[in-house]
Amino acid sequence: MVKSNFWSPYAAGIGLGITLLMTFYIAGWGLGASSAFSLLAGVGVKDISPEYAKTLKYFSQYLNVESPIMNWVLFEVGGLFLGALAGALLSRNFKLKFDKGNSMKTRTRLLTAFTGGILIGFASRLARGCTSGVALSGGAQLAVSGWIFVIAMFVGGYIAAFLFRRLWS
Amino acid sequence: MTAPFVFSQNVSLFIAVVLGFFFGLFLERGGLGNPHKLTGVFYLTDFTVPKVMFSAIVVAGAGLYLMSDLKLLDMNRIWIVPTFFWPQIAGGALFGVGFVLSGYCPGTAVAGFASGRLDALVTMVGIGAGSFVFAVLYPYVENFYRSSAMEGATLPKILNMNHWFVIIFLIIFAIAMFYVMEKYEKKN
Repeated sequence: MVKSNFWSPYAAGIGLGITLLMTFYIAGWGLGASSAFSLLAGVGVKDISPEYAKTLKYFSQYLNVESPIMNWVLFEVGGLFLGALAGALLSRNFKLKFDKGNSMKTRTRLLTAFTGGILIGFASRLARGCTSGVALSGGAQLAVSGWIFVIAMFVGGYIAAFLFRRLWS
Repeated sequence: MTAPFVFSQNVSLFIAVVLGFFFGLFLERGGLGNPHKLTGVFYLTDFTVPKVMFSAIVVAGAGLYLMSDLKLLDMNRIWIVPTFFWPQIAGGALFGVGFVLSGYCPGTAVAGFASGRLDALVTMVGIGAGSFVFAVLYPYVENFYRSSAMEGATLPKILNMNHWFVIIFLIIFAIAMFYVMEKYEKKN
């Protein structure tokens, strides 16, 4: 089922750690991901209705700048896409598909992929970042934020896996 | 001039793309574009997530504090991820539920989509929608969102310990955890 042409997780982890270290060294902050989605949501709302976007105080941090899309994390996530695409293509691991649990219906998968995404989007804003910006970057800085997020995430994840036992197994 | 550095916007964004490229390459090559591997840790079938994650944290953490101790980098100019205790506990727990349901997190959804997974694109749209929901509900959650602020709190600071005690503890913890996971995976 799971293709085995991936690298050793330790090798990939060390590579990822060196990338994160270089990011601290060069830029002075860590790697992120979720804020790119939040930024694009804000820009999207502004495109549809500038008046409504003005009423959303949370999005003003992205929209009250000269050019919102000239954003560091957005460009970094663009690079993430290209790097993952290169990795998948070069290892012949690229395959167009609608991936799901072995016993999952397509409709169930559509629902879980979307509602899971909504929870992730909301939770990332509340926690000020995700597995990249808080868990990985904060964790490496030995920041309290990173470690409480990691612990809470695993507790939430194990409760969900217990409640939805057959989703991915 | 010590690190970190200040660049013009164009150079800074170019560097973001290059660093992001390696971020994505290592995520995909580690197997973290694959939702079966990503959720495996929660179903005790595949421990790729903690193996990649803890290897990366230990390498970057030890490297960061070593560079700071050697004065190759000015720690005072590193932006430490701020702590807001209860919002991050609640956010982390909710995030874990979303992770299991969708099979992705934001960065790995992008890696999954880049390896051809259309379900990851659905999750990406969901993440955007969830951010919008947060922005709409922000007036109601703002007080909680700003509560229990600890700013740039770090474990060595609050434990009043040298950072190397914490790092060595983490290295030992990671190696012990890897050992148990390898044993468990061989047995099953």
